[in-house]
This record gives sequence, C-alpha cells and structure tokens, in this order.
Amino acid sequence: METAMPEAPPETIPAAPIEPAAAPPDSRGDIVVEIDDVNFSYDRKKDVLRDITMDIRRNEVTAFIGPSGCGKSTLLRCFNRMNDLIPGAAITKGRIRILDTNIYDPAVDVIELRKHIGMVFQKYNPFPKSIYENVAYGLRIQGIRNKSVLDQAVEESLVAAGLWEEVKDRLDASGLGLSGGQQQRLCIARTIAVQPRIILMDEPCSALDPISTTTIEDLITRLKDQYTIVIVTHNMQQAARVSDKTAFFYLGELIEFNDTLQIFSAPHKRATEDYISGRFG
Amino acid sequence: MSQEAPAPAPDRRRNRRGAFPRKGFRVFGLGLQDFIRYFFGGNASFAIIVLLLICYFLAEQAFRFFPAHRQGLKIYREAGQEFVDQIKSELAAHSRLGGDLNIAYLSEVNASSQREDNLVRALQAVQTAVEDRTGHLSERLEDARETVEDLRDDLEDAAADPAKTAELQAALAQAEGRADALAPQWHGEAEAALDDPDIWRLDANPVKLTDAERVEIRDAVLRSEPGLDDVELPFFDALRKTSADKKAAAREGYAEFKTHLDALRGAARPLQSLSGDLVDIAAENRQRLDKFETAPARRRALLEGAEATMDPEERARKLKMAEEVVMEAPDYDALARPFYDQVAEHGKLAAQVRAAVVTAYEALPKPDDPAIRTPPGREKLRAAAADYAHLMETLTRVEKTLPKWRHDKPVSRTRGVLMFFAGRDWVTNSSWHDFYGLLPLLTGSFLISVLALVVAVPFSVASAIYVNQLAGRREQNLIKPAIEFIQAIPSIVLGFFGILVLGSFLREWSQGQLHVSPHGFVGSLPVIREIFTGICGFLNWVAQYVPGFPMSERLTMLNAGLLLAFMTVPTIFTLAEDALNNVPHSFTEASFALGASKLQTILRVVVPSSLSGIVAAVLLGFGRIIGETMVVLLVAGNKIQIPDFRAGLGVFAQPAHSMTGIIAQELGEVDQGSIHWRALFLVGMVLFTISLVTNFIAQRILAKYHVKA
Repeated sequence: METAMPEAPPETIPAAPIEPAAAPPDSRGDIVVEIDDVNFSYDRKKDVLRDITMDIRRNEVTAFIGPSGCGKSTLLRCFNRMNDLIPGAAITKGRIRILDTNIYDPAVDVIELRKHIGMVFQKYNPFPKSIYENVAYGLRIQGIRNKSVLDQAVEESLVAAGLWEEVKDRLDASGLGLSGGQQQRLCIARTIAVQPRIILMDEPCSALDPISTTTIEDLITRLKDQYTIVIVTHNMQQAARVSDKTAFFYLGELIEFNDTLQIFSAPHKRATEDYISGRFG
Repeated sequence: MSQEAPAPAPDRRRNRRGAFPRKGFRVFGLGLQDFIRYFFGGNASFAIIVLLLICYFLAEQAFRFFPAHRQGLKIYREAGQEFVDQIKSELAAHSRLGGDLNIAYLSEVNASSQREDNLVRALQAVQTAVEDRTGHLSERLEDARETVEDLRDDLEDAAADPAKTAELQAALAQAEGRADALAPQWHGEAEAALDDPDIWRLDANPVKLTDAERVEIRDAVLRSEPGLDDVELPFFDALRKTSADKKAAAREGYAEFKTHLDALRGAARPLQSLSGDLVDIAAENRQRLDKFETAPARRRALLEGAEATMDPEERARKLKMAEEVVMEAPDYDALARPFYDQVAEHGKLAAQVRAAVVTAYEALPKPDDPAIRTPPGREKLRAAAADYAHLMETLTRVEKTLPKWRHDKPVSRTRGVLMFFAGRDWVTNSSWHDFYGLLPLLTGSFLISVLALVVAVPFSVASAIYVNQLAGRREQNLIKPAIEFIQAIPSIVLGFFGILVLGSFLREWSQGQLHVSPHGFVGSLPVIREIFTGICGFLNWVAQYVPGFPMSERLTMLNAGLLLAFMTVPTIFTLAEDALNNVPHSFTEASFALGASKLQTILRVVVPSSLSGIVAAVLLGFGRIIGETMVVLLVAGNKIQIPDFRAGLGVFAQPAHSMTGIIAQELGEVDQGSIHWRALFLVGMVLFTISLVTNFIAQRILAKYHVKA
C-alpha cells in the first residue's frame, strides 16, 4: 500500500516553465529533461542510480537499455515522480529539471506534473471500464464534463493511437475485452488524451506478440512528431528501430549516451559493445 | 543352451522389477504415497458426506410436514373450527373498531382534566421517588407507626385488665418515642431528597410545574409521612375533585358519542353468543376427531405396553384399556350439522350487526371533526375508519363464504403449502387449533436483517476503504485487529448488552429522557458533564423526528438490528477490504500517472473495480445476519406477529420474532416427530435455502466480475 505520499503543497506549478504545448520556442532539439548528477535510493542506504547526467531533447525518442536491475526503469519513474508512491524512495543527490523546473522542488504539484508527463506501462493496464471511459478518464479527473469536448478528445486520441478504426463501433465495450496489443494502444490513447509534453514508456512491448509490437513501434515513430518520448526496452532491435538517442545503463550508472546509430554501430565503451553484441546481460 | 539356463535367473528377476524399481512397502499394489493421498482425500470427503447427510435428514423431516399439516387442516375443517373462525374474524374486526373508538372517546374525556391529572400524577411520581431515596428510614418509621396503632388497639381491648394495661402503656410510650425520634430524621432526608433536582425529573410526564405547584407538591410529600393514614391534602383533594367534575362535564358533552359508541359495541352481542355456542361445539368435535385420529396409535402403545409388562394384573388392565379404545369412525355429518343449521341464523345476526354498526358509525364524529381536540383521539378515529372498512369487508366476505362452507370438502395440497408459506399466524400449543404460518417469522427476520445491513454496510465499507487506501501502516495495525476482534465477542454477551444497556438507552432516548446522571462518573467531571448534557439535549431533540419514537418496549427490531449490524461489521469489513486489496496495483498506478489525486483514484478506479467484491461481501454479511440466533432471540422481543407496516419506518420500533429464534425457542419443547417438530424443521429448511441462495449468488458475482490483474 502506498502509505506515505509526500505530496507538495497544493499550490500549482510555478507559472513560467510548464506551459501548454504551443509555447513559442518549440523547435526540435530543445532540452526538455535535464538530469544533473542524480543519485537515487529506495531505502536511503544504497544508491541504485549513481551520478546520472544526461539531457533529453524535444521530439526525439530516447531509448534506455541495459540489463535487468540497472536502474533504467527507476530513472524513468523519477521523471513523473511515480517513485513517490514507494515509501522511502528519494533522490539523494542532484536535480532533475523538466521544462526548466526542478521537479523535486517543494513548490511543484506532483499531480500537475503528471498531467504533463504521461506514462505507458510494461503490462497494459486499461481500467475495467468502457473503451470510451478509459480514454476520457484523464479528462474527467480534470473536471471536464462537456460531452462534445470529451467525444472529440476520445476520437482524436484513439485516431492518434491507431485504434479508432478497430473500436469506433464499440466504444461502450469493456476495455478489458480487447486483445493485448489493442489494450496497450488503448493505454497510449488514454495517455495522449490529456496532451502531455512527454510520454514515458516502460517496456511497452514486452508483453506483446511480434505483430502487435510492430504496430506499437510504428505508432511511436508517428507520435514522435508531437511528443517527446522516453522508452525503456530490453529489446535492442527495438531501440535501434525506434529511437534517435540511446542510453546504456549498467549497475546504476549511465555508461554511454549517444545517437542510436553511433551506439549500435561504433560504441565508445567496451561494456556497451559487449551488451549490444549479446556477450552478457 | 540348457546349461546356461540357471545363470540368467537372477537377471530375469531384476529385469522384472525394471531398471527403476519402486522402494518402500506396498499393500495391494498401493504405496505409502497412495495412503497419504487417501488419508487427506478421505478427510475432505468426510466433511462433504456429513453435509449431504445433514441436508438429506433436514429435507426428509421438513417435507413430511406437509402431509401432516394437511391432515391437521382437514380435521380443522371437519370439526367446524374453520366455520367458527370465520365468525370469529367478524367479531374480531368488530371489537377492534369498538376498541379504537372507545380509546378515542376516553382520550377526549380525559383531555378535559389533563392538567389536574398530570399534577396528581406528578405528586405520586415525586412521592415514589422520595420513598425510594429514604427507603430504609421510611420502612422503619412505618413499622414504628404500625406498632403504635396495634398497641393502641390492644390497649382498648385490654381496658378491663389493669396489669396488662400498664404493661401495654409502657410499650406504647416506647413505641411512640421511637416513632417520634424517627419522624424528624425522615423529614431531614426527605427534604434533602426534594432539594435534588433529579427527583423532579418526571419520567414521561409532560407537565411543566409552576413554582407554586412545586411548593404544594413538596409540602404534600413532607406531610404524608410514612405510616400516617388520612393526611389531609386540601390542594390535591381539590384537584381530584376538579378533575372528576371536569370529566363529568366532558362526559355530558360527549353523551351522544357515548350513546352511539355503546350501541355500536353492543350490536354484536347476539352474534357473540352464537359464536360462543358454536365454539364449544367445534371444540368438542375437535377433541373427538383428535381422539379418533390417535386411536390406533394409542391402542398400539397399550398393546406393546402389555407385551412388555411382567405383572399379569397390569397386563390384564392394559389389555382391557386397549379393548376400550374407541376405533369406530365418528359420524362426520352429524358433527357438522349444528353449523349448517346456524348458517341462516348467522346471516340474520350479521345483517343486524351491519345495520347497527353502519347507523352508529355514521352518527359518530369523523377524524376531522372540530369537536375532536386531542391528537390521540384523532389518530384513533383515523384507525377506526380503517377498522370500519375492514369490518364491512369481513362481513361481506363471510356472508358469501359461510353458506358455501362444506365440512367434507377436501383440503387441497396447494392450500396446505400456502397456509405455511403465506400463513399470517404462528400459533402453537393452542387448545383450539395450531397454525403454522411462516410470514410473521419471515418478515421479522427480513426486517431485522435489512435494518442491520443498512446500518452496517456504510460503516464497514467506509472503514475498509479507509484502512485499505488511506490509513498509515500503524493505523492499519490498530484498526484491523480491533474490528476483527468484534467477531470474537460471544453473541450471548452482545445479547446481554442489548437487553440491559442498548435497550434501556434506546427507550430512554425515544422518550426524550436522556440525561447525565449527576451521581455517575461522567456527571462528576465538570466540563465533560456539560458536553454530555449538550449531546443528550441534541439527541432528545432528534428523537422527536425519528419515526416510531417514542417506544414503550426495550426489546425491538431496532435494538436487534443495531446489534446485528455491529456483529456483521467485521464480516463485511474483512471481505470488502480483501476486495479492495485485490484491485491490481497497475490500475492505481495508471490513474496516478494520469494525474489523478488519491481521492479521485479511490472513487473512480479502486472502488468501482472492487464493487463486485463489495457486493459479495454485503451478501455474505446478509447470510450471517439472517442465520444469527442468539442476539435475535434475546433482543428482538419475540412477539409472533406480522409488524404493523402502517407505521412506516417506525415499524422497526416494534418487537418481532425470527425464524432462527423460533427454532431455538421451541425445538426443545416439542415432541419428536410431531407436526410442530416438523414445522420447525421446515423453518430451518427455509433458512438453509435462503443462506444457500445468498452464498451462491455471492460466489457467482465474485467469479463473474473478478478483475484479473
């Protein structure tokens, strides 16, 4: 049970940094997430992430790869502060700045933060509600009741997630009745319905068959134009196929972070090469 | 080749056992593993076999109720009791009408002198209270005064005997001295008691005393010392006289009412005497029929007894008695003849009743009549209007059915079954006829269960949500065991609490009489006393608006329902908490990731996802409530009657009996194999079925809507 949830005081996020998606200097390549020398610990004794420094840029797909337990998912979950749900977990050093705001600042409202940073989980997890309600959920909790606004958002999100054609006739059917790949796309639709700036994907295809995986990968490539995407994956081919940048983690440290092409063709570090060539991990 | 034959022999043996021979002992080809397996399997199947046997036994005993019941109904009809009961139903309707009208009349008349009567009652109440406080002293004073009286009498009788006179005089002087010494002491205590405001808390007496009246009462109490007869209390004597005068005047004002009322109530007298005659005949018939019915069994018992006795004299006596058992069938037609003969007479008398009642009732004031001033009077007149309609209906119905009545008409199977499941009376051990109607018990059980659920569900579900979703670990560790501990309280203890504490509290509250006793622990704490007094005041104020209040009973469905609610909270809480716990973590995670707050996540994701489990928890709680026996038996009041639903929600303030309670109460006293015994088994079957169905539905809901992680 999540017991202690250290939520910031309910004052909303500082006015400047996180603005709706149409802020003027919206060009590709701006730094969106700035990780500055971060250590992270679940129990304040042993750091599971050490000295992580990296920048994630706008409208790029950044892939985190590395063997199990290397801390890549933990880092991902720092971005939307999902780690807050685990008692005792905290950043012990450094700062994470998203859109020029230190997200661990006490003045940051974590709920507001999460509205701007969507997340897709490893195991598809639609709510036991209808397809429509699943997509509309994020808007409903923001207090939007207007039917036409909701209808439009649901349709747009489902179209963007490539699911509209398959489900448009049965929006009232349970989301749990879809196939695995469809459920995962439903989760993506649910995430983009609230129009986040960043989408975090935590091994989104690990529970899916190869065909559904291909569909999702195509979707990720399409979504890149509108969103900044960070994806954790165990599948190196997938990282190579979908990402612009790749970060290799090992034992809680960022070993190498570079253009995907560079990483997969000529990694600078020995460990990276060993890993992507399958010599360990 | 032949000389090689002996050599491979051991090899063959080894080959027969194969390369991987089994080890350990084997009996009939079964190994240790098999025996262990059968041991565990046997234990499991033993439970199931016992369950099946119980079901079979219950059902077998219960379903043999129906033929016996039908036979009973047949005799009821043949004896003419059915006929008489129809006439009785007319008379009952009539007397209910007369009764309600009479209460309305009395309420009107008594209202004229209410103030006076209340004052007199207040005096009596204060006097009793003072007597209680000064108990020991009052008794001694009274004894002393009595002794003085007795001695004075003796002295008069013994006037001729000087020696005795002297002796008695001495004793008298001593007794008088004692009385005179006690009197001031008593006065002191009585005055102290009168100074205590608690004494002036006049239970259930709405009178507001003026200061002058208080002084009068105080004076009167002090003057009427214990043991003194004929104390003059002019103030109260005057009050009594005024009261009597006012009542007389009021009676005059309502003279017309009284005339019509008497006419109405007297109208049924001829019908009553007819009914009385027929009741005697029917009862006699019944005895005769019952005797005939049981004759073979009695004879068999006597013969068996004769076989078994060694004493030849005893044996001869028993054989003779067996001979004497009347076996011949009674003449059914002759038994029924008196009833057929009276059909015409009844028609005439019933028409008379109708005519007289209609005339009288039309002449009586109606509830909205301005002459009717008291609320109880109006209320009773309203009740009388319903009674009147009911009486007319009954008269019409009986008028039609009675001529068609046939003593030899067979009792249909459906009727036998309906008389049980839809029967409105449960009357046993009666000298007239035993009725086994389930409805009063069923309604009692259901009303209590519904009330208990309505109270328990919000509490338990809310606590489950709190504990599962919001509470910290330390709170969880405190609340969960505490709630689960409720289950450990023996139900007899709860019932005991219900009778002594909750019952008294509810009744006092319903009458708006809650107060903080100044002698109790709370009353001795300065600030807390004020807080509690405030709470009591608020509750007393609320009590005015609670339907069914004030209640005169301590043991009611309300009491039982509240206790059962308390008992069920752990059941529902635990199961609902499980259901909440089963909501996959991924749902909450997804909700948080979309920017939902804790509360939104609980209300929009967690609770809806676990709703099926919560519903199942409620159903299982219901199963627990409806099967609970001890608390209901002790606390529900055990009145076998269909509650009066005209009271609306106030129906819960009435006592009732339940299916579980009736079994517990009556099973010990019935003869094995009797119809009553079987009726109780059938009630048990009904309970069993209800529980089974509830459990089944709950399991289905759980299975169908179970959310997979």
